[in-house]
Amino acid sequence: MTKLTGPGRPHPALYLFPLPAVVLYVVFFVIPTVQAVQYATTDWDGFTPDYESVGADNLVKLATGGDSLFTNALTNNLTFLLVVVVLQTLLSLGLALMLLRNSKVSVFVRSVYFLPAILSSVSVAFIWRFIYDPNVGPINQALGAVGLESLQSGFLGDPDQAIYWVAMTQVWAHAGQLMVIFIAGLQQIPEDLYEAARLDGAGRWQQFRHVTWPLVAPTTAIVVAYTTIQSFKAFDLILGLGGNPPRGSLDILSTRIYTTFTNSEFGYAAAQSLLFMAIILAVTVLQRRALALTQRGA
Amino acid sequence: MPSSHRPITVDRRGFLGLVGAAGLSYAATSCAGPGSTSGGGGAAPTGGSATDTISFAHWRAEDQQVFDKIIAGFVDGNADAGVKQDISPSQDYQSSAIQRLRGGEVGDAFTAFRGAQFEDMVSAGLFAELTDQDFTSGYSERFTPVGQKDGTQYGLPYQVVFLQPIYNVDLFEKAGVSELPKDWDGFLALCEQLRSADVTPIAWPGGDAGNAAQLFNSMTMNNAPSDDFGTKIEAGEYKCTDDWFLKTLGQYAELAPYMQKNASGSAPEPLQQLFNEQKAGMLATGSYHIAATRALGAEFAMDILAPITTTADEARYEGVHNATFILGVNSSSDKQETAVAWLEHLSDPEVAGEYANGTAQHVTVDGVEYTNADLKRIEPWLSKNTALAPRYQFLDLDVEAAVEAACVAVVGGQSPEQAAEEAQKIVDEQIG
Repeated sequence: MTKLTGPGRPHPALYLFPLPAVVLYVVFFVIPTVQAVQYATTDWDGFTPDYESVGADNLVKLATGGDSLFTNALTNNLTFLLVVVVLQTLLSLGLALMLLRNSKVSVFVRSVYFLPAILSSVSVAFIWRFIYDPNVGPINQALGAVGLESLQSGFLGDPDQAIYWVAMTQVWAHAGQLMVIFIAGLQQIPEDLYEAARLDGAGRWQQFRHVTWPLVAPTTAIVVAYTTIQSFKAFDLILGLGGNPPRGSLDILSTRIYTTFTNSEFGYAAAQSLLFMAIILAVTVLQRRALALTQRGA
Repeated sequence: MPSSHRPITVDRRGFLGLVGAAGLSYAATSCAGPGSTSGGGGAAPTGGSATDTISFAHWRAEDQQVFDKIIAGFVDGNADAGVKQDISPSQDYQSSAIQRLRGGEVGDAFTAFRGAQFEDMVSAGLFAELTDQDFTSGYSERFTPVGQKDGTQYGLPYQVVFLQPIYNVDLFEKAGVSELPKDWDGFLALCEQLRSADVTPIAWPGGDAGNAAQLFNSMTMNNAPSDDFGTKIEAGEYKCTDDWFLKTLGQYAELAPYMQKNASGSAPEPLQQLFNEQKAGMLATGSYHIAATRALGAEFAMDILAPITTTADEARYEGVHNATFILGVNSSSDKQETAVAWLEHLSDPEVAGEYANGTAQHVTVDGVEYTNADLKRIEPWLSKNTALAPRYQFLDLDVEAAVEAACVAVVGGQSPEQAAEEAQKIVDEQIG
């Protein structure tokens, strides 16, 4: 038997040190997750003592497309995710590259771009709800003023476009924040590598492709993972822009789960939450692998 | 050495296993079965005295100051008592009030929305019964059934609102409107007349589900084959593809040209401003927007009207009302005597009048004198033949959203048939 005490062995009391963290983890993650699994197998409404066990029916219904509202929310969420991850990552990386130098102007412009990140999602939603208003919003007003009425949009009222407009708002609100993370990552890349690349005759694109992109990989992975999770949880922004409950064209997974809870379907909402966790996990793993492959090939 | 006296040695794996087992045991014991805590129910006490400080849970932050004054009056008469308002935003209240109130720590007295929330709260045993309370007789018999379930009075609806378009009386006169329409053709003619006067006939916030759906009340009140059509849609007895609903959707399509551009994406706030600036003849939400428009500075006269979607002789109702803000006593509270006294205080016609005139809303208490000019103008509607707002019959939010979204889709350009089919598909899924 391996003893905890003895020469070269850590003192047993050291194992108590992680205990506070373990307790917090158990209370705030393990217990709710175990409860969610338990609830997901019932038709509990959230308040009455009676409930029926439904086994895996809830999960089967969701996984087999038996709930078109959930499927619609998933489709909207993946569209939202794709648009936000691509645009937000590219925009924040582009801004970071442009504002990398620590000059006074760069620092000022960085803070301007960062400003939306300190606003609450609800404030952002109210600002953009006004901007997107089809009658008094500045976009349609400006288009009307220059005779481009044909380009005026219904924005959030257009079911085919609504989720893209919300994605634009999300990008506006968070690109500056992620720009700061990219700047921190880019500033870690040694200047020597760029000098060596220039000596080898590399142009700006080749320097980016063969030096910046591979070395900014860890930062990009963080940015993409963060953006992904953020996109799945854009709950307050959606409710602020689309009302509660949001219409079908704006419904994403988090708002769908919330509506299901509000609808006193706790068991079913718990099943949706479990699937939600699994989807985020799967998407994050896939993204990390895709990113690793891209950057290995660079 | 006997084994019982040997020192206990723990290896690393054993220690971690122990921690894990303890965590899982704790998790398992914490996971008492769903529904393991249930509400109490039972009758609220009668004839007690108010000696506690109670929590009054509601969602109307805009009424806070008026309630503060009313609470001061309550405390004047009950020196040992107090009331603390526990106010949540209406959306939060709608979604989480039951869970918050069940423990009894907050909301010794509380309020409920009519419809799904009231029904759920009754099922959860949250309401102490009020049937034996004398002060319930001070409420209009027309409205008290809203707070009943199976013949028992659980709550008392306090507010009455009219969920039908409000209109600018001055603008109607300028446009030459001498009489309000009594049928559908007349309503379309009114819209045409307003459009000819260069104003938007109907401002409709199709981008906000809650406000947009208020028009649904008056559009369906006379078209539906029965008053309980919402219940019947949820029971599968009526379908969105039925003729009466297709007719309703067709009428929405007829109204679309008279609404502001891109109506299905419009938020209510800009439309209130449009209405306030006298650029729209009607704001198709409800009487609750009269006070909001006044707050924007409107000085013109306002009244309410409802589109009659049938011929005059086929119309069953003149408009739509809703009785809500259902007052109740928490069955889990240990301060029920004070909570009952608080409800009794609110039921006094003078106090109810203070609330009504202070918040610009009608109340269900009899004998109230309305001094607010807008309330006085609309007061005759309290005795008109109005339907109890049908949209609150829906107990399933997804069914309600699907049915109401069909109306928005039609205004957005979708055909009534397609919108009805899509709505019915969701309804079928939800009701199983």
